[in-house]
Amino acid sequence: MSMKKALGAIAVTGALVFAGAAVADEKIKIGVSYPTPTHAWAAGMNWHAEQAEKRLEKIYPDVDLILVNSPDPGAQASALEDLVSVHQIDALVVLPFESEPLTDPVLNVKKSGAWITVVDRGLSQPGIEDLYVAGNNPELGRVSAQYMKGRLKDGDNIVILRGIPTVIDNERFDAFMAEIEGSGINVLDHKHANWNRDDGFEVMQDFLSRFPDIDAVWAQDDDIAIGVVAALKQAGRDGDGMFVVGGAGMKETIKAIMDGDELVPVDVLYPPAMIATAMDATVNAFKSNGPVAGRYILGATLITRENAESYYFPESPF
Amino acid sequence: MSMEVSASAAIIEAVNISKSFGPIPVLFSVSMDVRPGEVHALIGENGAGKSTLMKILSGFHDPTSGQIRLDGKRTPLPPNGAAEHLGIVLIHQELNLAEQMTVEENVFLGREIRTNGFLDRAAMRAEVQKYLDEIGLDILPTDRISKLTIAQKQMVEIVKAVSRNARILIMDEPTAVLTEEETEVFFRQVKKLKESGVGIVFVSHKLNEVKEIADRVTILRDGQWIDTRSSQDLTPDTMAQMMVGRELSDLYPPMHEADVDADVVLEVKNLRAQGVDNVSFGLRKGEILGFSGLIGSGRTAVFEAICGLSPIESGEIRLFGQDASNLSVAEARDAGLAYLTKDRKEKGLLLDKQMRPNLTLFALPKFVRNLSIDRKAEENALTRAIRRFDVRARDSSITVGKLSGGNQQKLLLAKVMECEPKIVIIDEPTRGIDVGTKQQIYHFIAALAAEGVSVVVISSEMPEIIGTCHRVVVMREGHITGILTGDHINENEIMRYAAGLKREELH
Amino acid sequence: MTTASEDTAAKTAKKFSVDFKTLGPAIALLLLCIIGFMLNPAFVSEGNLTNLLTRSAFIGIIAVGATFVITAGGIDLSVGSMAAAISGVMIIVMNNAIETMGSGVPTVLLGCGIAILLGIGAGWINGALTTKGKIEAFIVTLGTMGIYRSLVTYFADGGTLSLNFDIRGTYRPVYYDSFLGLPFPVWVFIGVAICGWLLLNRTAFGRYCTAIGSNEAVAKYSAINVDRVKTLTYIIQGLCVSFATIIYVPRLGSASASTGVLWELEAIAAVIIGGTVLKGGYGRIGGTILGALILTTIGNILNFTDVISNYLNGTMQGLIIIVAVLLQRSDWKVSKSGKS
Repeated sequence: MSMKKALGAIAVTGALVFAGAAVADEKIKIGVSYPTPTHAWAAGMNWHAEQAEKRLEKIYPDVDLILVNSPDPGAQASALEDLVSVHQIDALVVLPFESEPLTDPVLNVKKSGAWITVVDRGLSQPGIEDLYVAGNNPELGRVSAQYMKGRLKDGDNIVILRGIPTVIDNERFDAFMAEIEGSGINVLDHKHANWNRDDGFEVMQDFLSRFPDIDAVWAQDDDIAIGVVAALKQAGRDGDGMFVVGGAGMKETIKAIMDGDELVPVDVLYPPAMIATAMDATVNAFKSNGPVAGRYILGATLITRENAESYYFPESPF
Repeated sequence: MSMEVSASAAIIEAVNISKSFGPIPVLFSVSMDVRPGEVHALIGENGAGKSTLMKILSGFHDPTSGQIRLDGKRTPLPPNGAAEHLGIVLIHQELNLAEQMTVEENVFLGREIRTNGFLDRAAMRAEVQKYLDEIGLDILPTDRISKLTIAQKQMVEIVKAVSRNARILIMDEPTAVLTEEETEVFFRQVKKLKESGVGIVFVSHKLNEVKEIADRVTILRDGQWIDTRSSQDLTPDTMAQMMVGRELSDLYPPMHEADVDADVVLEVKNLRAQGVDNVSFGLRKGEILGFSGLIGSGRTAVFEAICGLSPIESGEIRLFGQDASNLSVAEARDAGLAYLTKDRKEKGLLLDKQMRPNLTLFALPKFVRNLSIDRKAEENALTRAIRRFDVRARDSSITVGKLSGGNQQKLLLAKVMECEPKIVIIDEPTRGIDVGTKQQIYHFIAALAAEGVSVVVISSEMPEIIGTCHRVVVMREGHITGILTGDHINENEIMRYAAGLKREELH
Repeated sequence: MTTASEDTAAKTAKKFSVDFKTLGPAIALLLLCIIGFMLNPAFVSEGNLTNLLTRSAFIGIIAVGATFVITAGGIDLSVGSMAAAISGVMIIVMNNAIETMGSGVPTVLLGCGIAILLGIGAGWINGALTTKGKIEAFIVTLGTMGIYRSLVTYFADGGTLSLNFDIRGTYRPVYYDSFLGLPFPVWVFIGVAICGWLLLNRTAFGRYCTAIGSNEAVAKYSAINVDRVKTLTYIIQGLCVSFATIIYVPRLGSASASTGVLWELEAIAAVIIGGTVLKGGYGRIGGTILGALILTTIGNILNFTDVISNYLNGTMQGLIIIVAVLLQRSDWKVSKSGKS
């Protein structure tokens, strides 16, 4: 080995070591804040966030993702302050507990110079976030309605079980009603089942007592759908082409679709994995040469037997 | 007591007052007036209508007919204690103090001294301290009411009324819960009030006190006005006769001689507990043993410890020869030992329940057949108890809280006797009840003893102790200062032991 | 012996003297049923009535326990969380027992046994902390409410615990099958109600509960072991929660952090609507059962009509609860004469 080469190698090594040290000092710190999971969808989100953290930190050693979950809006606001003051984050990925109370805390993080990615629930003031990643609530309603229209004919009857009275529920419901209008399909009634299995069961029991002829059910959510299916089976009205459309992408539901369940033949995606999409995009904002800022609205994909496998995460709690 | 009652104009006059509750008349055209600077005693048996008349005089009830005149002018009194603003203050028998607030806060409740909108606690405290010093009450303005004894609470009520510049002070049995010592202090206060021109209506069953403190006496019987007389013209005996409407001979039954050789059924040695310091005594079969002493001298504490109501620190208790140092209340009951509380409203009876469940509560296991309560047996027990103890109620379905004090006391007695105890401890057997009922209770105690039941009578009324007991234990500050028998049982002796002037070497 | 649960208003009137305090809840329920029938005749269909009764069983059974606690002057806020935690543990135990015990009846019995033990244990903890620990029942059960709720979240990793499908087949009939035309949960409800009624109204224990709630000092001076009786009321409450859980789990075969949310308030509401006094001293099991039926019927009727905006469901429930209690509390005779 010539002297020159050796010197070059040393120089290169030294430069690498130096660069490495510099990187260690200036790790890109990304805070990820979301509500403490108390229901299955959120637990799924938590799982996907943890998966994304492992994957991203493996690919980019200079990226440090800090996952924090909070049990209420106040705690989340405090957590955001800590992320800035203690961890001095360079970017924040946040799924706000509620839009209104968290707008100011996120704005303060923004003022510290951090990149802001907002997931799922928008802030009440526009222009704070650099990146917005969300599922498409109106699209979820529309896709569900389109599937109904494809399966049902003029004069058929459906009932709707809605979620918790919120903006999300309204967006889904209004889009569904707009799409179904003029199709000749009768919406017999709609009641709130609060994205909850027990409520889904009881509301569906009452619909079954009240309406002798129901051809399909839009349950809007996979948890409600589980209650609906139990009520249908109890009343023995689960045959004759009756079907239930849920939403979200729960693993049990997707498994059933893969196995060709006739009662729940499809599902409409509103994936908890969107947190991973947001984390990927945020890391890309630092790593990619392509522009990242903007709004990413995920499609509300119709999951059928054909494509179900790619949405199936058996390890996830949801 | 010979204050000349001038014919000065009355502050308040009740003229031909009648009152009915629904269809039931309780007062028939009663008249009474209170003049400035006099003590006007209102006496009568329980149920004679004293409480109703007092409530009408203070605006808590409206008269059905008749009128109230204030300073000679017809004045309908405002309801719910608002008559206080007219200078008419009623001190209820069940004291009206906010238990969780301090003395100072209670005295100034509703008329707090404020500076710049904030409470001026220092000023209020000083004011209350002044009154407390005057009345000679050894508590702090910052003490919580719940920490005080009943006697102290009573005094706080009086301080409260005095501090409100009352013109007419109506007191419902103020001395019922006071010791003689405290009563004297209280009477001094009353005399001071009199001198300042306050008119005082004084309800009491203690006729000696009435004789001592009152200028005039109004007697009610069964809702009727019987007489109003100068107290100089009355003796306690004539008062009692006018109240009852018959000769009241033999308030106390003849005493049977105690059998000094009878078995010792209860033996207490060196008992120590909260408020009890090294107490030893024995109780024989068929004996009536009195426990005297000032309020707070530990009489109640001794028996609460013995009956399992409060923990024992050390000492030995033998019940019928068996060790009984650590009994629960239920075990004591089953062993034949029962305690009848002096606080019948707070610890004795469920005021919102009917007579039947109250009667059987203490002896309930006796009424259980096949795991369930035998209601028929309960009904029979109630019928028996009503007859045996002469409990008078309009009908058996009314809640116990609506019974008069005397009938409550008789029911409480019946409740405790339902478990057929061999030893019964009766704490203040006649507190706040009328003379007729007292007589019944004394006779009952004597009859029990004659049957071989041992009775302990704890009482602050010395005549009662002297009139009923074979032996008297006197306590002071948690220990026994003397045990008196025979001729030694007299007021003078008891008082000297109770006040700590005399002390027997007992151990 | 029938309990007041299935008694019509007329029967109740024969049993008790005519008295709004006892008749109020029955009248309220009757009115609700008439309203339900007028809105939709399908309301009185056999299927719907069966659903109604089955559904009231959970809250009803828990409320029977709550009647004891409240009558003795206590309160238990932890029942909803306790139900969720017991469901969770039951599911975990049964899922794990499949390997050794198979998916038959013994596994289900094991699950039920565990549920009963847990209910008794949880009730004992609440009782011991209030009596021996001398902490207010409100605070104790507020604390255990949080603990049990977070435990189920922890067991489920924030998600849902699901019963293994092999056992569901064995266990399912406990909720869905009937005996003599009535589903099993209704039989359990009736059984618990009768036992509760006998216990409260016919035994010394019931009398002691009432006495303690009415005045604890009087109870103590009447030779009642106050601490033991109070602890027992919490244990009865825990046991009732176990029974409710045992019939709840086979319904959907799952438990999550959202299981049994607000059951404690519904149970307390049922007790109070039924005429039991919140500060203690007076309890009515029959009323409690009517109260539970009223609460369930309100929800059922609201699902049977689209006259009322969905967003006003809470308003309707609140109004009906208040009216039911008004009916029960007002002494109508007195208020009439008072006005004249």
